[in-house]
Amino acid sequence: MKLDPRTKFYMILIVSAVVMLSATTPFLWGLKIAMTLIPIILLIIEKKYTSAFGFAFLYIAALVLTFAFLSEESTGLFKSLLIGYSGIVVQFLPCFITAWYVIRTTKIDEFMSAMQKMKVPDGIAISLAVVMRFFPTIKEEYASISDAMKMRGIALGGGNAAKMIEYRMIPLLFSCVNIGDELSAAAITRGLGGKVKRTSVAELRLRLVDWLLITAFTAVAVIFVVYKYFL
Amino acid sequence: MSENIIGIEHVSFKYKGSEMGLLNDISLNIASGETLLLTGASGSGKTTIIRLINGLIPHYYQGDLAGNVTVAGRDVAKTELYELAGVVGTVFQNPRSQFFSIDTDGEIVFGPENIGLDPKAILERKKSIVDQMHIEKLLGRSLFELSGGEKQSIACASVSALLPEIILLDEPSSNLDQGAIAKLRDQIALWKSQGKTIVISEHRLWYLKELVDRVIYMDSGNIAHEWSGSGFASFDSEKINELKLRPLVVPDILSPSCNGDCECDGDCDKVTDLPENEEGIVLKDFYFSYHLNPYLFWKKSFKEDDPNLSLCIPRLVLPKGAVIGVIGKNGTGKSTFLKCVCGLEKECKGVIKAYGKEYKGKQRLKLSYMVMQDVNHQLFTDSVESEVLLSMNEEDKERCDEILDSLGILEFKDKHPMALSGGQKQRVAIASAIAADAKLMLFDEPTSGLDFSHMEKVGELLKRLADSGNTVLVATHDPELIEMCCDYVLCIEHGKLGYLKKV
Repeated sequence: MKLDPRTKFYMILIVSAVVMLSATTPFLWGLKIAMTLIPIILLIIEKKYTSAFGFAFLYIAALVLTFAFLSEESTGLFKSLLIGYSGIVVQFLPCFITAWYVIRTTKIDEFMSAMQKMKVPDGIAISLAVVMRFFPTIKEEYASISDAMKMRGIALGGGNAAKMIEYRMIPLLFSCVNIGDELSAAAITRGLGGKVKRTSVAELRLRLVDWLLITAFTAVAVIFVVYKYFL
Repeated sequence: MSENIIGIEHVSFKYKGSEMGLLNDISLNIASGETLLLTGASGSGKTTIIRLINGLIPHYYQGDLAGNVTVAGRDVAKTELYELAGVVGTVFQNPRSQFFSIDTDGEIVFGPENIGLDPKAILERKKSIVDQMHIEKLLGRSLFELSGGEKQSIACASVSALLPEIILLDEPSSNLDQGAIAKLRDQIALWKSQGKTIVISEHRLWYLKELVDRVIYMDSGNIAHEWSGSGFASFDSEKINELKLRPLVVPDILSPSCNGDCECDGDCDKVTDLPENEEGIVLKDFYFSYHLNPYLFWKKSFKEDDPNLSLCIPRLVLPKGAVIGVIGKNGTGKSTFLKCVCGLEKECKGVIKAYGKEYKGKQRLKLSYMVMQDVNHQLFTDSVESEVLLSMNEEDKERCDEILDSLGILEFKDKHPMALSGGQKQRVAIASAIAADAKLMLFDEPTSGLDFSHMEKVGELLKRLADSGNTVLVATHDPELIEMCCDYVLCIEHGKLGYLKKV
């Protein structure tokens, strides 16, 4: 199933807004959980089972911990740490899942053309596209650097946290800068950033699913605000 | 003679803040439809000439430029880069960093979209190019899953999609195996038959010698020699050696006809089963697969008869103190093999028996050390000396100096590793390997993109490492390197052992 990138951006927008509002009644909690289910279902439809079930597991675990085992009377270091962690997960994981879904399923091409349709300036659109292009690269580079560190036996920085970060970040920054440089050179020799208006073969159209999702997310946002502040 | 399409007149260039890549008063005219090869040592200015033609100099890389460059009637310095995009196309050296998209389809149409063509026309172009190049099976895939050769095919396709009159290739074969190079050669031949003007900067010469019309030999920023293509192809090995170029004919061991397949010659003396008591490094039960994902707390385990194994080596005895070349096609499991041997893939439960001890799991990391293809990934500290000290169990500055001296990099002791040249960085990585007392040294493509004299140096170094008692495994696509320094060749095909034979 293909969604229009504009629907995806709208999803991110609404989810990020809603997670910032705290749920106070069981109904509002239910609404939040229902909203979180949508991107998880979308991930399953896209056959990204590992991430879908991983997220679902994490989310459910955090919910169960928050509601069943921890209460305001919980004391002790371990329990308060746990409250902190599961609180953060419950609160912000929906955002993360949605963003993950969008990044994993949007092609750069569609992204650029959606940006153009929304009249976002080229400078911003290109920078954001490069950021998206860079996620997998960073992942690859990071994996090689981790390997190299394991080989040297410095994966834990000899117990020194500052060193641990330094050893990881310095090679990562160097290689990202190099790759970024070569990447830009290659892109501009193929006409990126010209004065001509860019076209796109990605046909963008808001289909029925898009409208359904947009309606659903709008409804979530409206109901949430109305129930929380006006009833 | 047709008219000149590229004119470089009295051009001198110096990169900002650098002494390297100087061009001294170069003049070069290239005729329309000509295929020109630029060759010569690293840093002799080949890449700089490519950048002059595609306009990256002076528009992207800044420096002091004197003289004039005209391309297809335009003055490059006064033409915006995007106007050159439909005229000059460039295939770069590194397949990893020349993509803007993450999927193959998007990459092919990227250029035409940028110059604002009608979507319908773009799709037609894409179709005709895909048909021409026979890359249907690459469509609809993620670029990050492709092998180096496949990436380079997509790069060629996306350059073709802009229908440029001039095509530049900057060391395009550096990361490719023999089969992929043969494909690249066919692609260049196709462009040539379409009447395009082609300029190639390259160290590997064997695949180009029948294609090029003219050869330019660069030496420290000057055009030192110029030959006709046929004259160049008839040079004997002595002349090529004298010029410090890579050979025109590759040794049979990895001849292009066999595509890196393991079954080439039947009558080689295979030594797959060295007797048990023979002194050697014994690898046992090396199985690994990328297809199985670990799932939460469920761990991977592999069985010998699993059809999806990326690596399946039940038993292998490596001769001690030798240089062993590891060959095989791109994506056939060479890197996986190296990673498993040195213990980086911890799901691979292989055991190494050597020096009367058994090394399992993480212990393998102590026995071995891998010098990666991109050495930038394994330099962590702010000076060469501390880089080497970091590898030692107990810091021993005298021993550090000894090691650095033996590798000829003592003078850079206090320099930042990232400020060194590629070859020097590689030596720093080797120095750390020696300092870590690794007995088994693994090299992943140490000579890709190196010129002949640098390759010779690497070859000598590998031999020296083996002479001092280390066992060296080197994964490579360079037949020249194998001929230079390898005692044995180990061929891997689809993750299985093809053969191990004496050279």
